[in-house]
Amino acid sequence: MRLNPLLLSLVPAALASSAFAFDLQAIRVGRAETVSHGVIEHAVVLVEDGRIVAVGPDLPIERGIPVVDRPEWTVMPGLVLPYSRLGLDGRAGADFTPEVSPSPEILPRAEEYAEVLTYGITTIGIYPPGNGVPGQAVAIRPKGETLEEMRIKEGAYLKVYFRADARSKKTVKDAWAKVDEHDEKVAKAKEKWTKDQKGKGAKSEEKKDEAKPEEKKDEKAADAKAKEFVPPAADPKVKPFLRVRDGKMLPLVSISAAADWAHWLDAIGERKFDFALRVVMQRELDLYEVHDEIVKRKCMLVMEPELSYTTSTMRQRNLPAEFANAGNKVVLIPRGEDLASHETWRADVGEMVKNGMKREDALKSMTVYGAALMGLDKDYGTLEKGKVANLLFLNGDPLEPGTKVVAVMLDGAFVHGEVRQ
Amino acid sequence: MKFSTMLARSARTLAVAALAVPVFAQDPAGGEAQPGAAGADAAKKDEGEWFAVVNGDVYSGTGAVLRGATVLARGGVIRKIGHDLEIPADAKVLDAQGLRIYPGLVALNARGIASRFGGGEFADTFDPYSQNLVLALAAGITTVSDSGVAVKLKRREVKGVVVRERYQSTLSYSSAAPRGKSELDAKFEAAARYLRDYRDWEEQKKTNKDLKEPAARGVDPTIRSILENRTMARFNAANRSDLLGIARLAQKYKFRPIIEGAVEAWTVADELGRAGAYAVVVPRTRRDKSEELLRDGGSSIENAAILHRSGVQVAIQATSTFIDLGGIAGRDVLHLPIEAGFAVRGGLPEQAAIEGITIVPARILGVEHRIGSIEVGKDCDLILLDGDLLHYQALVQYTVVDGKIVYEKDKELYYAHIRPRPAAQPTDAPDARRDKGEEKPADDDKPTESGDEKPEDKPAETPEDKPKDGAADEG
Repeated sequence: MRLNPLLLSLVPAALASSAFAFDLQAIRVGRAETVSHGVIEHAVVLVEDGRIVAVGPDLPIERGIPVVDRPEWTVMPGLVLPYSRLGLDGRAGADFTPEVSPSPEILPRAEEYAEVLTYGITTIGIYPPGNGVPGQAVAIRPKGETLEEMRIKEGAYLKVYFRADARSKKTVKDAWAKVDEHDEKVAKAKEKWTKDQKGKGAKSEEKKDEAKPEEKKDEKAADAKAKEFVPPAADPKVKPFLRVRDGKMLPLVSISAAADWAHWLDAIGERKFDFALRVVMQRELDLYEVHDEIVKRKCMLVMEPELSYTTSTMRQRNLPAEFANAGNKVVLIPRGEDLASHETWRADVGEMVKNGMKREDALKSMTVYGAALMGLDKDYGTLEKGKVANLLFLNGDPLEPGTKVVAVMLDGAFVHGEVRQ
Repeated sequence: MKFSTMLARSARTLAVAALAVPVFAQDPAGGEAQPGAAGADAAKKDEGEWFAVVNGDVYSGTGAVLRGATVLARGGVIRKIGHDLEIPADAKVLDAQGLRIYPGLVALNARGIASRFGGGEFADTFDPYSQNLVLALAAGITTVSDSGVAVKLKRREVKGVVVRERYQSTLSYSSAAPRGKSELDAKFEAAARYLRDYRDWEEQKKTNKDLKEPAARGVDPTIRSILENRTMARFNAANRSDLLGIARLAQKYKFRPIIEGAVEAWTVADELGRAGAYAVVVPRTRRDKSEELLRDGGSSIENAAILHRSGVQVAIQATSTFIDLGGIAGRDVLHLPIEAGFAVRGGLPEQAAIEGITIVPARILGVEHRIGSIEVGKDCDLILLDGDLLHYQALVQYTVVDGKIVYEKDKELYYAHIRPRPAAQPTDAPDARRDKGEEKPADDDKPTESGDEKPEDKPAETPEDKPKDGAADEG
């Protein structure tokens, strides 16, 4: 019954099923919060090979398939916490190390991971600490004997700490200047290569045209076709920014005020790339000043589920809801790094719903949006056919403070809760 | 022959004049909106949005007052000032009926406004959303100097906020530090000698090409740039003897010093005037006379007035250099006009007092070509008040920076509840036109295009005392 999570994450379910004899199992619950398709009453979730193979109301269950039948339960996707330093030290300097991953810091079997798994948190994005550009986040599952077992994805997003100061702006400008430098180098090498090819007899002219910028970065493909142009390797500090530019990784830009936003825009200038914002919620936060601009750019936001005040007043506002209602993807994370905050995470998000956030947005803020930030939303964050079977079972409404976790399934296996079949 | 030479010379003069005209007329030419007339520069200036303030009394800051006039700007630069101007259809129009229009104020040494964390690099740290910024705009301040840098108080944008980087060099020339004083003397002497030698060399080079250029080694670059008028020398001095020393130094080496503090400057005003000094004074400063001194000394409320009479350019600074929301109000940087009012109490003409918080500090910062008065070709930085700028009751109703409304009293948190505009009271002599503004409906504070009526044509009405409902909620 116990599955190998590493294999599951690497091998698509369809392929795996032919190679391994995995059990098909059914879970019948009173209610399913699919996140993607609303609520399904009397839902059945079919799980095979660690993936969801079907979700629907009163699906017929073939004889012989083991069934967990709990009409009093509610099921939802396992929670995705993309922004965390759980179990790790948060102190660091202000370096420019975009190539760094926090993986070496992670201690498998740390108590915190086992604990938050019982809260229903099944995916965690660990980010590197520090100001400046400290590195890239790694997505893990909070269970495993080794780092390899835990790891889902390296380079989940690029962490950028940005404040309205000369240093931050210089860091950003320099980083992009390096990208330009690299592009120039590639262009020059290409020119030289083209000339050489022509000299050789101009046989590979057709292929030259195929070498579009995206392909150029794909070094493996370039190696495979030896005759094709091989661009000079990028500096490890430049590579992450190339991925950002090509839309393969989101930078998560930490700001703390509207002024930071204004200077961030000034620093990136005319460059076009998507980015997400990490906004540290404070008692007074003037981000509403730039609300329209952030909405226009469709930035994903990572915030704590907290209310704030209009500057210099006692007028309370729900900034996460304001952005969510305007169409931005808002990721809500636990209010603190302590375990208690993780335990009350769902309830804290529930508070935001009571203050004007849509229920649907609130559920997404803890699941699929966090997965999207890490580029994992194809596999995680909703109850849909084909997704990884990370399931959270509750005894009621997930957003109500009294609701308890009754069981947790990770990669198709129950890892928490008393489950009788 | 002689005559023809003269003719040729005068022709050359004419040619020079003809060349010079476009240079001087560039801004006004832009103001006349004649595209193509003044080259690429002017063509560039002919871009941007039109903005017009109509029906206000324009107190230009140069001494001129135009009643019921229009200020027309494009791309943040004033293009025309006058009556019966043709306003482009796409212009944003602000009706200043019953309001006075002054140039935006310039606050010297104001801290904590231009940046969230303070200290330099304002192009990278300027907070265009800060509450201090809004408070400063509400006080009529449109430019501040912080750490010697002139920063335009733009709102919601960070581009182009630094108008000029450090234009001043701070020197010390005090009898309290005699060694520093004699060292500075020596530096000035060396720099002056070098410049003299250099000019001689330039002259003699024409005949003797082998002559060596005088060595600039050992010449203090700061002092040299002061003598070459590239930098302004800034002193902090309060004592009579120090002020006198600076005045004499400036007279000797022919530079115009900026003197901050200048408490006892009134005792040596004639010397400072002869030196062409700028004085930055705090009219409310109090200081006792030194007991050892037989001559006049200590502070005087007449300081600014006496300096002004002696030809010193007087800039006025508030008692406190930052925005102070605690303690007793009225002493911080938000109360520049109040501070200027104290100078008026001491005898400074009102016009000079206004100049002391507009054009004179602009000169000190080296930005007077853009800031400090309402003139064609200058930045459209305006403040619209419901009365005399120097009157304690007057409130800024609108602040305009670079041709954009960046503060509107009735729409902001701080003063909206105080005399909402339709019920604004005249703050000086009864004025029919001001009362007129009050008969407008409360929500009619949006800019309108009806600008042609002469305010005088309408009958005067008695002001209504009723404050508008709802407007006080902000408090």
